[in-house]
Amino acid sequence: MHIIKHSIKEFQKHLFDYLLFVTACVIFILTVSIFRGERLMEYLAVATFVLFYICWGIYHHIVDNTLRFRIVFEYILFGAIGLFLLKIIIIP
Amino acid sequence: MKSLVKFFKHLFTPHPTNGYRSKIIHHDMLTGYLVFALFLTFAINHLQTKNGSILGYATDITANKLFHLTNQEREKDGLEMLTYSVKLQEAAQKKAENMFLNDYWSHYGPNGETPWQYILSTGYQYEYAGENLAKNFLFSDGVVRAWMNSPTHKENILRKDYTEVGFAVVDGVLNGEETTLVVQMFAKPLYASVTKTVEHQSGDPVLYAKGETQSITQEANKGSFYSLFVNINVIFFIILISALALDFYFASKLNLIHLKGKNLIHILFLGTLTIGIIFIIQGTII
Repeated sequence: MHIIKHSIKEFQKHLFDYLLFVTACVIFILTVSIFRGERLMEYLAVATFVLFYICWGIYHHIVDNTLRFRIVFEYILFGAIGLFLLKIIIIP
Repeated sequence: MKSLVKFFKHLFTPHPTNGYRSKIIHHDMLTGYLVFALFLTFAINHLQTKNGSILGYATDITANKLFHLTNQEREKDGLEMLTYSVKLQEAAQKKAENMFLNDYWSHYGPNGETPWQYILSTGYQYEYAGENLAKNFLFSDGVVRAWMNSPTHKENILRKDYTEVGFAVVDGVLNGEETTLVVQMFAKPLYASVTKTVEHQSGDPVLYAKGETQSITQEANKGSFYSLFVNINVIFFIILISALALDFYFASKLNLIHLKGKNLIHILFLGTLTIGIIFIIQGTII
């Protein structure tokens, strides 16, 4: 399977980066779980996670030597879509 | 049919027609989603300002739904159905208003107020009474599910001594934060002839009191906009994740080299946000 081979290769090549991101995902889930019902904390958790995702993208592509404006823009777009859609749920 | 397949291929898989990148995750499409999300944010803000309500739009909790769900739980346990009490609803409303007024989240007020005094203040004489509280849930079933998952609240819902219930679903500002409070009051009237009950909603148990009381009413007026929005949101994230996964699959298979972000990370990011929504739509109970 190409996809599995490709994924394993990718993980091995950037193990630290992926582990860092997975850790951030776990921390985010734990935070929103702990602060259930606290709208401000939930929103801060989402905003922080989105910011981390964009920073991760910039950092990763600098290390990978593939940093371009359109790539950063892609992370910003995905991050902003997630942030605004969840904002409507948390703080309409 | 052929053109439809072609269209979906263009949308979801890397293809010569989309520059070997699923159209649905092209930058122009992503910008379109963002503009739409911004439009929704402003439209909802505008609607709420116009309607003079902040959280009325943000939750899908209704007293009727709570009442039915509570009775459903009792029915499963072979217990008698509760009847809706207008006086208990009134007591629940007073309790919620007091929590907003004195800025607290507890069964007891900072000045020693007890849940029972709100029941008594409506003229309801009770033999048994109980109270369940919930805040910042988005859906009625989430509230009742959380109560049923808590042994003390579950005990209130399934207590055979109670015969009547009343609910209040009230929006306001608690600790500087826009909040939706749900107050559920249970009771058994001391003298059946003195109390007046009305068909309505449900709640959950945490506190008990033995003594005297009266009965209540209230109404929640939320629409189904919010549940629709959350569902659309989840479906939208799933479509994006699917498109990214397909793009990743075909790009790996065809050994495409693209100058783009990491699909795996985008998938992980959106997947985590989707899981986050599950927690966000849940509130807290006491």
